[in-house]
Amino acid sequence: MIALLRGELAKAVTTRTFWAFLLGNAAFAALNAVLVGAASGTLDSVPEKQEAISSLPLLVLVWGLVGVAGEHRHRTAAPSALVARHGRGTLLAMRIGAYGLTGVALGVVVSVVGVAVALPLLAAQPGPDLSAAQVSDVVAGNLVAAALSVTLGAAIGALLRSQVLGVVAVLVVGFAVVPLISSVNEGAANLTPFGASAVLTGATHDTTITAYAAAWILVGWTVALTTATVLVERARDLA
Amino acid sequence: MTSQDFQSPVVVAAGLSKHYRRVRAVDDLSFTVRRGAVTGFFGPNGAGKTTALKLLVGLARPSGGSVLLDGAPLRATISDPSRVGVAIEPCGAHPGRTARAHLRALAVMGGLPSSRVEEVLELVGLEEAAGRRVGGYSMGMRQRLGLATALLGDPDLLVLDEPTNGLDPRGIRWLRTLIRSRAAAGRTVLLSSHVLSEAALTVDDVVVIDHGRVLHQGSMTALTDRGRTLEELFFDLTDGAAA
Repeated sequence: MIALLRGELAKAVTTRTFWAFLLGNAAFAALNAVLVGAASGTLDSVPEKQEAISSLPLLVLVWGLVGVAGEHRHRTAAPSALVARHGRGTLLAMRIGAYGLTGVALGVVVSVVGVAVALPLLAAQPGPDLSAAQVSDVVAGNLVAAALSVTLGAAIGALLRSQVLGVVAVLVVGFAVVPLISSVNEGAANLTPFGASAVLTGATHDTTITAYAAAWILVGWTVALTTATVLVERARDLA
Repeated sequence: MTSQDFQSPVVVAAGLSKHYRRVRAVDDLSFTVRRGAVTGFFGPNGAGKTTALKLLVGLARPSGGSVLLDGAPLRATISDPSRVGVAIEPCGAHPGRTARAHLRALAVMGGLPSSRVEEVLELVGLEEAAGRRVGGYSMGMRQRLGLATALLGDPDLLVLDEPTNGLDPRGIRWLRTLIRSRAAAGRTVLLSSHVLSEAALTVDDVVVIDHGRVLHQGSMTALTDRGRTLEELFFDLTDGAAA
């Protein structure tokens, strides 16, 4: 199974799509750091300063979705299944896992860029400076959120097998359904993958749940959707 | 391999069917593929050839019937690039990936040595273009990459869907030689084609289907002994079926 993971990882990083998302996420991290750290007025509390180094997991989720759904768009899933020496469910699980590993790489890049750009800007802000532990909390949240969000996106992509449908569905849920839930019950939105990711990365100042609880919520969504997708895959045609 | 092994069919399709909602793409299809022979799989557009090939290699799930691969039910077998090599899609490679990266990833997944990638690239004549993205390939080059993918594990059974599409005359002759040399070495090839004159030079056995059903199975020798050509057989059978 390690061979499948290595092969799927090689496939994921040998397209321009991965590198485009990597650069896009790095650019977003820098932009976020500048907008929050220098252009949004006075930041005099720790959570406000932490927001400058937070990430946007929705972007990395879309990478997982587009990458795995692209296996069907470009009909690359069939050759992999024909050489895999394992069942289709195992192959898909390894593919989703490989995308999760790319999520760690994205999380590292986003965190490095965010910290490098934000910290000098935040030093000019009033109030307490961020401690190493406070920076580490956000970086750890970024890494966990990125890995799980890419994995979740990959599972959605494998389930829907359509890049357009998947991206539209994610945008509708992220920008319409979750805000609607939040307007009715603010705490309930934290139970969604998007709400949990925001808590985990420090992108929201909501303190109704802890980062640990948010991580477990995201793990729950990711495991549930990945399991469902793998089970469905076994019964579907591949080509 | 014993002489008995050579007598047993590599593939046995029994009552195979595939329905897509109300469309019966394959309907009670039964035929065998002889070991060490080149079997041609013929039929008009929409006859169900590609669907049947996908069922035979496990890419699609049958609605009914069964496939035996080397005597074992296909559902119970695990994909193995050294047993079955398949070229059904144009090439199955991401347009943004290079041919070498595509094959290397598959070699890793199949537990094959990386040296095999260079061997198949050379075999199909893509060694100089292997570093280019597949999106820039001509149809013939994609076809060669699909063949390289199928040959990666040096399989006992090669399943090829329209393998001459996009190939130039030199490529078609190269492919014919490759297929015949594999059969001469005791390997098995199942191929579909619309180019009947070319296929007649390549195949040992003939299966003709239409509307998802087998209309004829027999040897090429038996056909020519009766003074008939593959083209005559094809039109006699498929015109009748369409009428």
